[in-house]
Amino acid sequence: MKNGGWGSGAGGWGLKYGLAGLAVLSALLPVYWMMTISLKKEVDQFAVPPKWFAFSPTLAHYRDAFVERSFGQYLLTSAIVAVVSTICAIVLGTLAAYALARFRLPHKLNMRLALWILSTRMFPPIVTAVPLFLLMSDVRLLDTRPALIIVYTAFNLPFVVWMMRGFFQEIPRELEEAARVDGDSRLGALRRVILPLVTPGLAATAVFCLIISWNEFLFALTLTQTDAAMTLPVGIAGRVTQYEIEWGVMSAAGVVAMIPILVFALAVQRYLVRGLSLGAVKG
Amino acid sequence: MNVSFKNVTKSFGSSVVVDDLTLSTEDGEFVVLLGPSGCGKTTTLRMLAGLEDVTSGDILIGAERINNIPTQARDIAMVFQSYALYPHMTIAENIAYPLRVRKTARAEIERRVKQVATMLEIDKLLSRRPRDLSGGERQRVALARAIVRSPKVYLMDEPLSNLDARLRVQMRGELKRLQHELGTTTVYVTHDQAEAMTLAHRVAVMRAGRLQQFDTPMNIYNRPANRFVAEFVGSPSMNFIEGRFRAAERVFTSGNLALPLPDAQIERMNNHERVTLGIRPEHVHVSTMVRDCWTPATVYVTELMGNETFVFLRLPGGEKIIARAGADFRAELEMPAWVRFEMERAAFFDAESGEAINRNPEPR
Amino acid sequence: MRKRILSSGNERALPFLLIAPTIAVLVALSIYPLIYAVKVSLQAESSAGTRWTFQNFSRLFADDFFLSALAHTLVYAVIALTFEFLLGLGLAVLLNRQMRGRSFFRAALLVPMMLPPVVVGVVWRLMLNPNFGAINGTLQGFGANTESLTWTAKPSLAFASVIMVDIWQWTPFIFLILLAGLQAIPEEPYEAALIDGSSPWQTFRHVTLPLLKPAILIALLLRTMDLLRVFDQIFILTEGGPGSATETISLYIYRTAFRFGDFGYAAAMSFVLLLLTNIISLLYIRLLQKQEAG
Repeated sequence: MKNGGWGSGAGGWGLKYGLAGLAVLSALLPVYWMMTISLKKEVDQFAVPPKWFAFSPTLAHYRDAFVERSFGQYLLTSAIVAVVSTICAIVLGTLAAYALARFRLPHKLNMRLALWILSTRMFPPIVTAVPLFLLMSDVRLLDTRPALIIVYTAFNLPFVVWMMRGFFQEIPRELEEAARVDGDSRLGALRRVILPLVTPGLAATAVFCLIISWNEFLFALTLTQTDAAMTLPVGIAGRVTQYEIEWGVMSAAGVVAMIPILVFALAVQRYLVRGLSLGAVKG
Repeated sequence: MNVSFKNVTKSFGSSVVVDDLTLSTEDGEFVVLLGPSGCGKTTTLRMLAGLEDVTSGDILIGAERINNIPTQARDIAMVFQSYALYPHMTIAENIAYPLRVRKTARAEIERRVKQVATMLEIDKLLSRRPRDLSGGERQRVALARAIVRSPKVYLMDEPLSNLDARLRVQMRGELKRLQHELGTTTVYVTHDQAEAMTLAHRVAVMRAGRLQQFDTPMNIYNRPANRFVAEFVGSPSMNFIEGRFRAAERVFTSGNLALPLPDAQIERMNNHERVTLGIRPEHVHVSTMVRDCWTPATVYVTELMGNETFVFLRLPGGEKIIARAGADFRAELEMPAWVRFEMERAAFFDAESGEAINRNPEPR
Repeated sequence: MRKRILSSGNERALPFLLIAPTIAVLVALSIYPLIYAVKVSLQAESSAGTRWTFQNFSRLFADDFFLSALAHTLVYAVIALTFEFLLGLGLAVLLNRQMRGRSFFRAALLVPMMLPPVVVGVVWRLMLNPNFGAINGTLQGFGANTESLTWTAKPSLAFASVIMVDIWQWTPFIFLILLAGLQAIPEEPYEAALIDGSSPWQTFRHVTLPLLKPAILIALLLRTMDLLRVFDQIFILTEGGPGSATETISLYIYRTAFRFGDFGYAAAMSFVLLLLTNIISLLYIRLLQKQEAG
């Protein structure tokens, strides 16, 4: 009897599915619209009333974006930057998370360090983006992929630390104690006993990092200037000029930017709430 | 290898959890640390394992001081209360883990695992995972993992407390036999006095971090060093009556109660005046028929155990005591009854300190 | 007896060794830039060279653009948060019942939130285009006159539009967290309330809401932090326009730094924004600490 009995009964049933259906429609319709624009010929794009289904599709815009123009390169950059920064963040962050979860540090450092790490994630990106721009141009790393990789690693680290710390804390301490009594070193026990158990959480955290890096816009916008280092979001934004907007190309790029993320998001659904709330809500 | 604690103290901040513990075992002995929750027994075990630091004092295995040797190098084995089996490994891999970590040859690992599994009758389960096993089976896997090497000491932290009552009794016996076969020094922690009594060569009773008595089970039972030990060991618990020892009249009095003492007891009383009488239920005899020199009392409640009956009685002064009677003892609530105390078997404790006053001399 | 050499001294250093690299990266890329920004904000270029000054900060109070950006941000945050919360709560309550296909509904509702914010901007530029966007197009199809419905060109409409897009994108966020919170509530309190004779509304007010409070607070705090620093989708939708009608603080800082090249002033403004979000994040951290303890 969930919710204490709201809306039970036949009338409630219809209303329930009706409202849910309406919500889903509002969520998906605009996305669907963008997908149609990416597949429509220019004529159809500007049709009034809008053509939701009755049009003959074309892949011209996709070809235009990824073969003719540099969207293929943007895609590659996005992928490389996301993957490499995720790996770095995962390696560094997991080790730190393990230390914070398992070792009793003096002066309440466990909590203090963990909270300090979290607080760096709370900065509005623009606050660090401006000085980072100046710093990166000082060291001549402006408009390079490594610059983005470094920045994204730092961006994702607090997230990795907090997620993995939570996962480590869920494993009973006694397992590691048993491993140590059995003769294993601390790192050996981490490798042979703890990591295998924490693998699902690790995978989910990695996917989250990929999503965050892939979607990121502000740092990419400020730290890149040419096709050499631009990511997909920046490339899409670049197509938006004051007077002439290439809808088809922009939509095609948008669809391609969107698909991997949706796939990933569905894959980590189980951990979604935990990831969104940085471990505060388990669900 | 024997185990020794020398003035070992452990504190967390300002609270002292283990207070100046000095204790030495023999090689091959089964020692049980017994006490209520919070008495420091588990902390003591964990210090021996190296899972907790020692605040002061020395712990030795054999002649070697191990305070600064990390856990993995101490050559000990431990059975945890929750068994701590590795969930992602098969039973065989679980048992093999201590050997694998020491880089033992694979053939040797297989041989030892099989040997130990057969000994504990879990050889059919080797390819399963911990989650598929019952509590009793998991416990035996934990044991197998402990004995697959030949460590210097076995440590056990309440390994039977997660089993149901019947299985617990069965495993108690198996454990005793196993330890006898292996002959390795074992330190075992429990709050269950029946386990301590049946398993141990010697029992160390602890309370609030301090060692109360370290002796054989029979001596703990028959010659408790203080009131706490007397009350903790034995079920149903020993009866206690506060009162005075009158040297001139050679009696123990409490309110209207006056119990004459045999000579042997009087000799050992040593001028103590305010004392507590302790007498075990099996040394309190009860009858529903009037008996001349017996003490009158009222039946409070009876518990029929099948093979015997526990009779709870109220004395004229209001004290409640328990007596053990035969299986066919019958009485109604609030019925009058008569009790006799076997004073030769009574123990006396100083009313203030709780220390035993007149312990019998050690049996030869 | 192997590994006697591994004294407890080495073991004690281990946790610090494991944490050090992470701290190093964060100090280099989060703390150091902040310090650098302090330096930049306290300097000003002039014909006489750079000098130390507070003028970047004193400018703030007189700068109309800054003050209106601040006002925009706060109004944006309050309105968006209110709607997102009410809608999110409603959806969570709705989907908390037994229903078939709940996982489908939940997955579908995820979509707006997971999209790259840039793509969200594209999607809604397409929808809101005055001439052929889906919304105006459909309305015209019903015979309505949409001449005045220039969603992104009229200041008031533009502001409403960006808020609406935010609501579309982020209601699922609150919905998800609240749904998780609702599902974590055990059956017993509800059963007790029923036996006590409580009506559905009373149960909601006195049983559900109090038990949901932690999740609500977390959702609201996280969302507020994100709302205060919103940038991505507004950038694509209106770039802060028309004029500066939809310019929030982050956008104004961006414009100041990268269009006008006035990094000092931009840095000074960033600190105001940082202060604002700091207060919120402190509240969040305090909540988290209570959760960890409890």
